[in-house]
Amino acid sequence: MTQSNTEKETRLVGLLAQFDDPDSLMQACESARVDGGYTRMDAFTPFPVHGIDQAIGIKRTILPFIVLFVGLNACLGGIVLQWYTNAASFSPIFPGYDFRISGKPTWSLPANVPVIFEIIVLSSAFAAFFGMLILNKLPRLANPLHRISRFKRVTNDRFFLMIEERDDNFDLEQTRAQLNDWGAVEVEEVNEDMTDRKFPAVIKTALILLLVVLMLPPVLIYRARGMVSRSPRLHVVPDMDWQLKYEAQEIGPTTLEGRKVETEYLFPGQSAAQKQLIGTVSRDEIVGDSELTTGIAKDNTVPNLNAIPTSRYQEPPGGEQKKQENPPEPKWLTKFPESITVNDQLLARGRERFNIYCSVCHGISGEGDGFVNKRAMELALTGKSEWTEVKNLHDPTIVVQPVGKIFDTITHGRATMGPYRDQIDVNDRWAIVAYVKALQELKLTPKPKEDANSGDGKTDGGKKADGKKADGGKKVEPKVTAGKGDAAKKSDPNKKSDPNKKSDSDKKEDKKSDDASKTENGKKEDSADSKKENKSDDG
Amino acid sequence: MATTADQFVDNTSDDPGRRAPLVTGGLDYTGVTEKVAGIMEAEKPPKIWYVLFGISSLITLMLGGLILHLLMKGTGVWGNNNPVYWGWPIVNFVFWVGIGHAGTLISAILFLFRQNWRTSINRAAEAMTIFAVVCAGMFPGIHIGRVWVFYWLFPIPTEHLAMWPNFRSPLLWDVFAVSTYATVSLVFWYMGMIPDLATFRDRSRSKIKKFIYGLFSLGWTGSCRHWHRYEAAYMILAALATPLVLSVHTIVSFDFAVSQVPGWHTTIFPPYFVAGAIFSGFAMVITLMVPARKLFKLENLITKRHLENMCKIIVATGMMVGTAYGIEFFIAWYSGNPYEGFAFINRVFGNYAWAYWIMVSCNVIVPQLFWIKWCRTTPWFMVVVCIFVNIGMWFERFVITITSLSRDFVPSSWAYFRPTLVDIGMLIGSFGLFTTLFLLFLRYLPVVAMAEVKSVMPHEHGDHGDHDDHEEKTAADPA
Repeated sequence: MTQSNTEKETRLVGLLAQFDDPDSLMQACESARVDGGYTRMDAFTPFPVHGIDQAIGIKRTILPFIVLFVGLNACLGGIVLQWYTNAASFSPIFPGYDFRISGKPTWSLPANVPVIFEIIVLSSAFAAFFGMLILNKLPRLANPLHRISRFKRVTNDRFFLMIEERDDNFDLEQTRAQLNDWGAVEVEEVNEDMTDRKFPAVIKTALILLLVVLMLPPVLIYRARGMVSRSPRLHVVPDMDWQLKYEAQEIGPTTLEGRKVETEYLFPGQSAAQKQLIGTVSRDEIVGDSELTTGIAKDNTVPNLNAIPTSRYQEPPGGEQKKQENPPEPKWLTKFPESITVNDQLLARGRERFNIYCSVCHGISGEGDGFVNKRAMELALTGKSEWTEVKNLHDPTIVVQPVGKIFDTITHGRATMGPYRDQIDVNDRWAIVAYVKALQELKLTPKPKEDANSGDGKTDGGKKADGKKADGGKKVEPKVTAGKGDAAKKSDPNKKSDPNKKSDSDKKEDKKSDDASKTENGKKEDSADSKKENKSDDG
Repeated sequence: MATTADQFVDNTSDDPGRRAPLVTGGLDYTGVTEKVAGIMEAEKPPKIWYVLFGISSLITLMLGGLILHLLMKGTGVWGNNNPVYWGWPIVNFVFWVGIGHAGTLISAILFLFRQNWRTSINRAAEAMTIFAVVCAGMFPGIHIGRVWVFYWLFPIPTEHLAMWPNFRSPLLWDVFAVSTYATVSLVFWYMGMIPDLATFRDRSRSKIKKFIYGLFSLGWTGSCRHWHRYEAAYMILAALATPLVLSVHTIVSFDFAVSQVPGWHTTIFPPYFVAGAIFSGFAMVITLMVPARKLFKLENLITKRHLENMCKIIVATGMMVGTAYGIEFFIAWYSGNPYEGFAFINRVFGNYAWAYWIMVSCNVIVPQLFWIKWCRTTPWFMVVVCIFVNIGMWFERFVITITSLSRDFVPSSWAYFRPTLVDIGMLIGSFGLFTTLFLLFLRYLPVVAMAEVKSVMPHEHGDHGDHDDHEEKTAADPA
């Protein structure tokens, strides 16, 4: 019983013959292949002995073709990677970043060559290295050869030839004799120990434990993603979230570079920003025609509270209550100021500016259905952010507003809407007001009843807009939703004459806006243009 | 048996009738192994090793501290100013990347050209390459400011960022070039080391060493089937590394050349940078190998002939660099571009003239000494020259980077660059890191590619007579 066991425990792998120099090894290999007819054999040398491949009968490796295949694919991969990330943005998941930089084309092959080259070299190098290892079946740490003490010199200065037991011509005694004949210094049996072929239990346990431990973080992260937590997110790297600077209108800091300091403010009123002093005018505000720049009638006596900036972060002096009250309104302009002539160009200009600045929130047709508003409302409904719904410009409370008030709203903002005085210049603001009025007019099928003052303004704006209605409506029409049929129908008849005229007037308007402050010139141009346009309309 | 020529032969003379031996001192296969493995097997390395290791690891610690300081405080701790946004960190980066070129050049290009003398020095040169690239990669790494988002440099799909790198930017090419270069050099170095690590495995007595060397030698047996594929892979890697090594410094030079700054915007930059890189790399190999061969008594493996060959390459590349300096001036004049002209006149006579003249004297004038045979066969003297070359090459990058930036198109924004203590500390620290890594390499890894040296050693045909088929086998011989 024990006898058979020990027999089973080792298995003969082959015969290992030692040689002392490369030439005798080569000789022996040659003999083994030709005379002995062996095919399953291997030579072991401390350095590559050239010519032994032929002596032992080794076919050329396919490694170069593997590398070529990988390299060609890497070339394609490099091209696709750069095209996908820099020149395509169709994918819904991880879309490319199709961003034009310095006016250069997003896809220009010469600029992509260096990265393609590097990717080819990197992939091919990996293919060569790992391909070599895989073809050689390395790493192989448990090899019966390593148990033979004589074999340790194979990496130093000795040469070996092993004829494997698997070979058809292998016969222990005969092969041994042959090897001795061919000049082997020593011949030794190579036996594989079959007893410890099992994977060591300790290492097995350790590996499983390691795997489990490694799995923990992803599992915890996955769990955390599906959970609600009241505590703030982990903030590992503060990045630039907290900076040593004053925010505009922020309360002064109580600590500076870690030290506690007396609460000191840069400017009175607990502010870090200098407030505009009462009675001062900023450089870009046009002095002179106050009706033009404020939208308030000249004989007004009530101060415009909307024009005084208050901090978002602090209550205005006077407290909550004062804010709640409806402040007395100044006397708004109900007609456009004298220097503004409402005509086709003004409305075209107003439409253009409106579409740029206002439509993102208020929508192309002023119904409050702009993209920003839609998205923000979606987020607000899911509780991801706070948002005050944007006003529908066709809301009765807005429709009755006099032009001066709308102008003031654009200038200084209202509620959560920000001021636009810095982005849009005075004449353009009036143009927008005119366009808004035109939009409202289009929407109103039955005219609402108004008091004398605002009625004036309305009819004034409305009348002037009438001739222009087509233009305003046209641009809007393709994008308005079904509910707006009225406006669309109204504008339909004039549609055909539109394109030429529109582009014409647009160009002129752009030119005009460059020297918008020269009101005199503007007027002349206005009238000239409107004449021209009327003609083209007719013709 | 394979033995080499007599002891202390002078192998620097060229006798057309006889190949100069690449291994001297009567070493045979066993002798080569004993010499190289002896360094690792010695109980203790020479005392001087401890001294150097102590100093360099302290400097490395200082570097670590400075990097931490930088990360806490921000890049303001450097002397970088407006308009010199690229200060010493980029100078150091280009300097170290350049150093890193010699290793792959020796191992890949000289391999393809069948220059057998490379075998004694390629391992150390490759190690030097890797460590130099480590130092090089560190500088742009910390220069990006917010190091913790370094992965933005790579095309990793992220949900929160929704952005990709701009593949049309030379700085991104640089990321790919340097990281590919580092990886391929590492693979090349490691693959070359596998047979030698197996030698270490088979010779080491301690269990820990046996385990570690055993693990990293992947069970190498020296099977001729393995050697066959190994050599194919090595040849392919060499063929891949050759264009790679030329591309890396080319792409580094694109960082400058693709911009529009006068003095940078020139087409000569790629070849000029590559020549400079090889020049500085070989200088660094000599600077390191002369003391190392002395310390570990490797004179018979890294012979004077090896050193002399490297000196010849230094003088050749030094003159290429000198020519490039001249061509730059010619083009500045010939282009008729006043900004370009100013940039170069400013280099020579402006406020950084001192740096320019250090550069020219170290890079162009000093290497001319290697025309004299005594200079290129006297090791200590070579080291002196090579240190000058390295100083010169650092100043070359300083001159290119700083002078052009400090006086750009708009005179109102001109500013003089002054390095801070942190700048200086980091440059010294990078040398500390480099030396530490190199000393560890000398002690624990095969310094000379034993298997490769053995394959180029002449061996007698013994008593097997003159078989025709032995012609092929002896191809490895100097034939």
